[in-house]
Amino acid sequence: MTPIDDDRPLDDPAESLRLIREEQANLARTLTPDPRLMYWPWGIAWLIGFGLIFLRFAPGGRVLVDMPAWLPSTILIALLLAAGIVTGITGGRAGRHVAGPSSRQGLMYGLTWSVAVTGMSILFAQFTAVLPDDRQSLLWGGGMVALTGALHMAGGAMWNDRNLFVLGAWTSVVNIVGILFGVGWHPLIVAVLAGGGMLVLGYTGWKRLP
Amino acid sequence: MTGTDEIPELDPVIHAQARLRVVSALSVMREADRIAFPRLQETLRMTAGNLSVHLRKLEGAGYVEVTKTHHGRTPMTLVRLTRRGRLAFDDYTAALQALLNPPS
Repeated sequence: MTPIDDDRPLDDPAESLRLIREEQANLARTLTPDPRLMYWPWGIAWLIGFGLIFLRFAPGGRVLVDMPAWLPSTILIALLLAAGIVTGITGGRAGRHVAGPSSRQGLMYGLTWSVAVTGMSILFAQFTAVLPDDRQSLLWGGGMVALTGALHMAGGAMWNDRNLFVLGAWTSVVNIVGILFGVGWHPLIVAVLAGGGMLVLGYTGWKRLP
Repeated sequence: MTGTDEIPELDPVIHAQARLRVVSALSVMREADRIAFPRLQETLRMTAGNLSVHLRKLEGAGYVEVTKTHHGRTPMTLVRLTRRGRLAFDDYTAALQALLNPPS
């Protein structure tokens, strides 16, 4: 082997393969947004937000924890906005200084979320005056969770990411079960099972990072 | 089998340690994706001058494509591994594997 410049090659093939894996993992890690920051904010928002809705509008019209009727959904929306900001910044940082099909895909997927959530919110807001508080929270909760589940499944299809697809399918099924159990039960089921699912995926995704 | 068949030829362009690191890092990106020079430099922990020298050698071999563009008003240099570079990298890693586990 004649080196074409003075940069010394490694003598040991095993050492070279180790170096290759190290550099691959290095760049892959910076290109992959931290799954904890991508999923935990949403899991926490759902656990706390839907948890509070359950405590205020429990099955049978009971009030387990007395608080103003507007408070639980306001907290849920605030937590969801915070989660959107955290994941937006995290995803943006991972995609910074990279150009090409992957970043265009990421941008289009992000825009899809914003447009879909905005459309649903405008539609649901039309029913504020005509629905009682507990029905309204089922409409908002059930609709938004259905949207989230579907978009996660679509994301899984787009990036060929089985875990994201499974999370979306799980969220969708949990949501349907919750809706069928009806007013009162939906928030509890979604908070624990779907919120919990996001916390689990954030953890397993982080453990699997290269 | 002759003696020369047993030792796979290692690509001298990739064989230098610094260029092996550059190509390894670029190999995790999808084919048409490009990474900005400063971010690649940061990941590889190399000086800008050193990275430039090695990128020029890789570009000369047709293994990487370096494009200059603008992001707003700031000029930006983007790097990607070409198909040829990816093939060379795959051959190189296969050769390393063959050196480690010689066919019996």
